[in-house]
Amino acid sequence: MRNHPPSPEFREPAPAVASRASGRAWIRRGSATPHLFLLPGFALFALAILYPIAQAFRMSFYDWKIVGSATSEFLGLENYLRALGDDKFWVAFGNTAFYAVATIVPQIVLGLAVALLLHGRAPARPLFRVLYYLPVVTSWVVVSLVFRFLFADQGLINYLLGEVAHVTDGQTSWLADRWTGMIAISALGIWKGVGWSMMIFLAALQGVPAALMEAAMIDGAGPWQRFRAVTLPAIRAALGFVTIMLVIGGFNVFISVYLMTAGGPAGRTEVLLTYMYNQAFGNLDFGYGSAIAVIVTLIVLALSLIQLRMFRNPDGGYVE
Amino acid sequence: MNRPAPWPLTSLRLLVLVAGALVMVTPFLYLLSISFTEQSYVLTMPPQLIPDPPTLANYTKALTVQDVPRYFANSLYVACVSTLLALVLSSMMAYAFARFRFPGRELLFRVLLVGLMIPAVMLLIPQFILTKYLGLLDSHLGLIVFYVAGSLAINTFLLRGFFESIPAELDEAMQMDGGNAWTRYWRLAIPLARPGLATATIFTFFSAWDEFAWALTILNSPELRTLPIAIRLFAGSGNNAVQWGLVFAASAIAVVPVIIVFLVFQRHFVQGLTAGAVKG
Amino acid sequence: MKRYIRGTAAALATAALAVTGCSAGGSPTTGSPAGPGSMAPAEPITLTFWGSYGNGGNSAQQEILDNTLIPAFEASHAGVTVEYVDVPYDDLLQKLTTSAAAEELPDLVRADLGWVPRFADLGVLVPLSDVMPDFQQLADATFPGVLATNYFEGKYYGLPLDTNTRVLISNPDVLAKAGLDAPPATFDEFVALGNALKGSDVSLFADGGLGAWNLMPWIWSGGGDITDAELTTSSGVLDSDANVATLQMLVDLYTAGQISSGIIGNEGAVSTSEGLPNGNYATILDGPWMSGIWGDQFPDFEPVYSPVPAGPGGSVSVVGGEDIVLTASSKHQEAALEFIRFTQSEEFQLALVPTGQLTVIQALGDKQVELVPGLKVFTEQLGTAKNRLAITQGSEVDGILNEELTPAFEGTIGVREALTKAAARIDELLVG
Repeated sequence: MRNHPPSPEFREPAPAVASRASGRAWIRRGSATPHLFLLPGFALFALAILYPIAQAFRMSFYDWKIVGSATSEFLGLENYLRALGDDKFWVAFGNTAFYAVATIVPQIVLGLAVALLLHGRAPARPLFRVLYYLPVVTSWVVVSLVFRFLFADQGLINYLLGEVAHVTDGQTSWLADRWTGMIAISALGIWKGVGWSMMIFLAALQGVPAALMEAAMIDGAGPWQRFRAVTLPAIRAALGFVTIMLVIGGFNVFISVYLMTAGGPAGRTEVLLTYMYNQAFGNLDFGYGSAIAVIVTLIVLALSLIQLRMFRNPDGGYVE
Repeated sequence: MNRPAPWPLTSLRLLVLVAGALVMVTPFLYLLSISFTEQSYVLTMPPQLIPDPPTLANYTKALTVQDVPRYFANSLYVACVSTLLALVLSSMMAYAFARFRFPGRELLFRVLLVGLMIPAVMLLIPQFILTKYLGLLDSHLGLIVFYVAGSLAINTFLLRGFFESIPAELDEAMQMDGGNAWTRYWRLAIPLARPGLATATIFTFFSAWDEFAWALTILNSPELRTLPIAIRLFAGSGNNAVQWGLVFAASAIAVVPVIIVFLVFQRHFVQGLTAGAVKG
Repeated sequence: MKRYIRGTAAALATAALAVTGCSAGGSPTTGSPAGPGSMAPAEPITLTFWGSYGNGGNSAQQEILDNTLIPAFEASHAGVTVEYVDVPYDDLLQKLTTSAAAEELPDLVRADLGWVPRFADLGVLVPLSDVMPDFQQLADATFPGVLATNYFEGKYYGLPLDTNTRVLISNPDVLAKAGLDAPPATFDEFVALGNALKGSDVSLFADGGLGAWNLMPWIWSGGGDITDAELTTSSGVLDSDANVATLQMLVDLYTAGQISSGIIGNEGAVSTSEGLPNGNYATILDGPWMSGIWGDQFPDFEPVYSPVPAGPGGSVSVVGGEDIVLTASSKHQEAALEFIRFTQSEEFQLALVPTGQLTVIQALGDKQVELVPGLKVFTEQLGTAKNRLAITQGSEVDGILNEELTPAFEGTIGVREALTKAAARIDELLVG
């Protein structure tokens, strides 16, 4: 694959675009072949993902009784209206938004920074790549427990901040309040995610046209100017992909909160999905829980569409 | 970029990288350290990075009393089968999306992407009822079916872009030689897509290895449990008597195969990302 | 929509067929009620039994169950196999819920006593008082307080399996350092110990939350309650002067740094089970199973057990424990009932006593203290201990108490105001 210099479009590389334009490699309409290729996978997808999604969507309009023998009462939009007037929903919403912002920006900035440092002739590059990627591939259950331990009152973080660095008194109860708790949870999110965005950016950086870079250098452009003028445009599509995936991940934050603070104290570090989970499985209010899940999905969908437009390639890239 | 950087810059670069790597690795070192510490020493202040006295008791307990080897084998089996099936199904779908034009192509593709956005926890109940009707409760197959289904969207997304980057001329040449669609997919696209498949392998294997909520929901028999469930069992309930040493010993055991898989496939990994969907 | 209803109806019909088919088809486990021990099933059956015996690092209970009790039952009931499945306590409710939705519950569940009304309300439990001819006889042998937790709308849906209560557990070294030779016996002595510990790095008390399980010993001992006896109102009861005084005492201690922030839900606080033996905390309130945990993890620690400090209302603790229930989806009802009878036997009850499970059989109370003298405090405390609210929304009540009282501990609102707000929200549950 090295023979084919990657093109700058988002997910729609030059050869395919070219061939589509000429129509040569495309099988004529009406052929059954693509459907045969799609059928096994899509059938499974429809059964195991789409059908349950439809069911969850349906549940959100009912006072849903989990046991089949009980009648579920149709409520229309009542579950949704209830969410809008529910203070705790908004606390969870605020925390989720905080988490999204507090993790997405650092993951992009740090991931890109590490990728830039590793790009080219960095010493021991494969080793660093592995070290930075290690958290990505480690189980959420494991790392959530480790971070709960690190951010405990008598944990390593307090020790380092208090006894070693002397920036705090070392007595911070991180998990005992809303924002400190969210900071601890976000710290985990960033730590676990930096390696992933680094990897994507490393890949994208290979597509930065070397000739352009050299021309910029000959023109006397400084590193920052070169980054702005050459690198950034070339990795635009990767930036878009990373942002979308991180937004999806950010709004779906669940296990780390569930295992680190359990939404406590007093529900103040609750995020949308832990709140949904508690409504559904704690209070057996599946209709309301589903409504919250649908709201989360709609938010993510809307943000993704906005981003697709923002990062859309001017020369007719992704969105058709 | 093509000229050697002056040495102070190189060493500064190295310094920053090392500092960052230290941050990334410290939690793992801490995990390892606790896994070798006796329960009564776990919470001493200042925290010990080198266990004193060190003990193997947690590992012994995890490996003997708690049947971790079995959970390990279960996780390995489920993750391997899921990965294999997911790669076959999603590469076929990706090939169809990349190489054929048919009505509703983009619509189908977007429907697939919505699957990425729905919170998985909310599907627990409908999926559980479905699994019951399929007769797959309390079975590894019940895990595999949903792990494969859950990974189709991301893998198809990834591989589609990858197949599209394979020059169409190669396809045409093969088509003229009489190769049908299946031959072109199996003989041409798949071998050329190896780096992309490596990337998909890593993603799929890890998500199956890591999965917790679904496994907890459908598995009952202790002998079918996967590692995340076992670790969660060790961690016990909330505030009450967590045996951290045991939890982290089991965790350390769980991290090992992940690192191995990653080391094996990582050579292709960056290439896969480069040529595939997510490239810039 | 219509199709879905048809699907559900079809499923229900299938389930109904399965049930009736099972009994009409002369399955060996149903038919005429068999006397205890008289069963001889034609084909082997397996009973599944879910619980959280092994939770919290206490493997001792599960080992006795798996290695002694279940084999003993199987030996006397040929053809019946009991498969016990351990589920972490925190995840058991979720697992039960999803399983109930799909009518895939196990035959038997060891349910937290707060959960019985809730699952009975869902219709997934079999009322034992209807199906067990000898129910009254078994029920009469148990402690009435624990038995009452199985009652829902006129029927009993389970039998008590084990019971426990919370007493004051102290660290003897900390007591000695504070110049005490006995743990605090009253609210005043409790506060005085807190004052004596001021300036040291030892906190007087720690707990893991503000739910009913945590708070009720203080509220009842302080002479208050959460609702009136008829469960009609919380306002005027929860925000009584007695409760304000009790909570104010705790809040003042908290403000003075004498109570660990674990009580407001700080998951980063040193846990009670580690903090007490390590000398971070002078006292905690906890149950009889702690000795099993400490014996394993802190073999040198010698905890001191004493009654909950007495307030104006005396020393009143909270009843805990588990009930055993039979699910409506069980296909082996008779065998399952046999196992339930077995759990009420002396053999079963006493075997688990050394691991911290108190017996629910009144007649065995003395024997259990003979067996484990350290349990005396617990059995005495149980004599006056009370049950939490017998309503289906127990977890909502816990949530309300945590949410409304946490700000009072943090000092952002007054105790009386917090109690009034909590009471108003609990009123809504009582009406509904």
